[in-house]
Amino acid sequence: MSQWMIIWRKELLELARSYKLLWLPLVFLLLGVSQPIVTYFLPDILANAGNFPQGTVIEMPKPQSGEVLAQTLQQYGMIGSLIVALGFMGAVSSERNSGAASMILVKPISRSAYLLAKWTAMLVLVWGSLTIGYLGAWYYTSLLIGEVDAIRAIQALLVFALWLSVIGTLMIAGSVWLRSGAAAAFSALGLAILLSLTASFLPSALAWSPGQLPGLASGFLLGSIPDAAGMIIIAGAVLTAAILYAAVWRMRRMELP
Amino acid sequence: MSALLRAEQLTKAFGSTQAVAGISFDIAPGRCTALLGPNGAGKTTTIRMLAGLLQPTGGKLSYAGVKPGQSPNSLLGYLPQAPSFYGWMTGREYAVYAARLCGLSAAEARSQADALLERVGLSAAANRAISGYSGGMKQRLGLAQALVHRPKLLILDEPVSALDPLGRHEVLMLLRELKQETTVLFSTHVLHDAEQLCDDVLIIRNGEMALQGSIEEIKNNHRMSVITLHIEGDDHSKQWCVSYQGGAYVKELRRIEKGIELVVTDMELARRELLGQLAEDGIRVAKLEFGHSTLEDLFMKVVSG
Ligand SMILES: Nc1ncnc2c1ncn2[C@@H]1O[C@H](COP(=O)(O)OP(=O)(O)OP(=O)(O)O)[C@@H](O)[C@H]1O
Ligand SMILES: [Mg+2]
Repeated sequence: MSQWMIIWRKELLELARSYKLLWLPLVFLLLGVSQPIVTYFLPDILANAGNFPQGTVIEMPKPQSGEVLAQTLQQYGMIGSLIVALGFMGAVSSERNSGAASMILVKPISRSAYLLAKWTAMLVLVWGSLTIGYLGAWYYTSLLIGEVDAIRAIQALLVFALWLSVIGTLMIAGSVWLRSGAAAAFSALGLAILLSLTASFLPSALAWSPGQLPGLASGFLLGSIPDAAGMIIIAGAVLTAAILYAAVWRMRRMELP
Repeated sequence: MSALLRAEQLTKAFGSTQAVAGISFDIAPGRCTALLGPNGAGKTTTIRMLAGLLQPTGGKLSYAGVKPGQSPNSLLGYLPQAPSFYGWMTGREYAVYAARLCGLSAAEARSQADALLERVGLSAAANRAISGYSGGMKQRLGLAQALVHRPKLLILDEPVSALDPLGRHEVLMLLRELKQETTVLFSTHVLHDAEQLCDDVLIIRNGEMALQGSIEEIKNNHRMSVITLHIEGDDHSKQWCVSYQGGAYVKELRRIEKGIELVVTDMELARRELLGQLAEDGIRVAKLEFGHSTLEDLFMKVVSG
C-alpha cells in the first residue's frame, strides 16, 4: 500500500475518533432537512405565533422546489463553510505545533504525500457531508413541495461541491502557511467571502471568477444558467489546484519544531 | 567516506542568534556518540538539522550512501526532546503506523511493533490510549517508534532528561543494548550519562565545538592531579585556608566552601609538603584526597569557559 494511502487511512480514523465524521454530516443533514420542512410549515407557524385577528388568511406564494434547494445551498454556503473551517483550521498547524508532525515527517515519507493525504481526507468528509445533507433536503423537498429535476439538482450539487472544495483547500493551505488555527480560519473564510462578494458586485467583469460558483449552483436549480458556466467551473478547479500547489510548496520547505 | 555522517561547518542562525556556529564532526559507524552541552548550547538545533527538520543556514551534511539532495530519512531513527504522539491512538496503533510509514507490510509492522513494545516494556499498556501515558512511557514509546525500521543511525535528543532516577536507569540500560546493534548519537547535559555509555563525545558551548574525541583520549589528555582538602569549621583552620598561598608545585588554587582544592604539577612533592604543613600548623582536617581530575571537572571547565 502506498504511503499516501496509509496516512489517508490514519486521517480518516482520526476524523472518526474525534467524531468529526459524525457531526459534520449531521450538521449538513439538519440544515438540509430543515429548509423544506420550515418552508412547508411556515404559514402554519406564522398563523399560530402571530397576533393576527381571528380569521386572517395568510397568503404566501408557494415556493418552487428548485428555490427551496437553492436556499439550502445558500445555508451551506454560510454555515457549511464555517463548519468546514472549524473542522480543518488546524489540520497541519496543530500537528506541527505539538511536534507530532516532526515525528512523522522524519520517517521516509514525502511531505507532499502527508499533505495530500490530509487534503483528500478533508475532501471525502466535505463531499460526503454535503451529499448526505443535500439528499435529505431533496427528499423532503420532493415530498412536501414538489418534484425536482434530477439532472439539474445533481449539476447544482457538483458545482457546489467544487465551491466547498475551494474553501476546504484554502483552509488546509491556511493551516500550512499560518501557525495559528484561528488565523487560518479567518484568512480562508475572509478570502472566500471576498471571492463571492467581488463576484456578485462585478458580475460582468468577473464573469469567470470562481466566486460565481455558488451563484452558478443556484442557477442550475432556478433555471438561469450563465453563459460562462464552463469557464467558472474550470476557474474553480484551477484555483483549487493552485492553492493546493502553494500549500505543498510551503510544506516542503517548512521548518519543524 | 568511512563516516556514517559527516558535518562540515554546520551553521544555523535564527535571525541574529547564531544557535549553531560552524561545527564539524564525524559519526563513525558502530560508535556511540554523546552530544554534550549546557542548556542553550545548540544541541537540539544541531539534532534537528541532522534529522532534516531544520534547513542549515550554512555548512554541509553528508550521509554515507546518500547522494546530496536525497533524503537520508530511511537511515535515521529519531526521538525528539519532548516526543508528541497522536493522543487518540493506542501505543500499539502508533508503533504499527510508524512501521507502515517506513515501508513494512501490515503483518511485518504488527510483529515488529509488538516485539519492540515488549522490548521497551510497554506490552501491558500497548492497547491503552497514548493520552493516558506517563512521561516515561512516552519516552519508551518514542524509542520503540524510532527503531521500527532498524535505522542505521539512531538520533536521540535528551532521551533521559525528563525521567526520574528509575526511568533514567531503565532507558540507559536499553541504550546500552541498542548501541550493540546500531550507531547511536544522543544529546545530554549530564556528563555522567555520556561517560557511562559512550565511546565518543562532542562537547558544544554557545553553538561552537568546545571539545571532541573519544572518552579515553580526552581522559588521558586532560588528566590532572588534584588535591582536595576539607577542614572542620574552627576559626584557626579557616584562617589558615584563607591565607594559604601554596608552593611551586601548585598550578591552580581554588577556595571551596569546606576548604581548598589544588591542581598540582608534582603529586609526590605536594603530598609531602602539604602533609607536613598541615601537621605543623595543627589544622583540623576533615577530609584530604589526593586524586585525579574527573571528566566532570573537565566538562565544567570547558562549558563554563
Ligand atoms: N526557533 C528559534 N528561534 C530563535 N532562537 C532559537 C530558536 N530555536 C533555538 N533558538 C536559540 O538557539 C540556541 C540553542 O538552542 P537549542 O534548543 O539548540 O539548545 P539546547 O542545547 O538543545 O538546550 P536545552 O539543553 O535547553 O535543550 C538558544 O539560545 C535558543 O534560544
Ligand atoms: Mg535541547
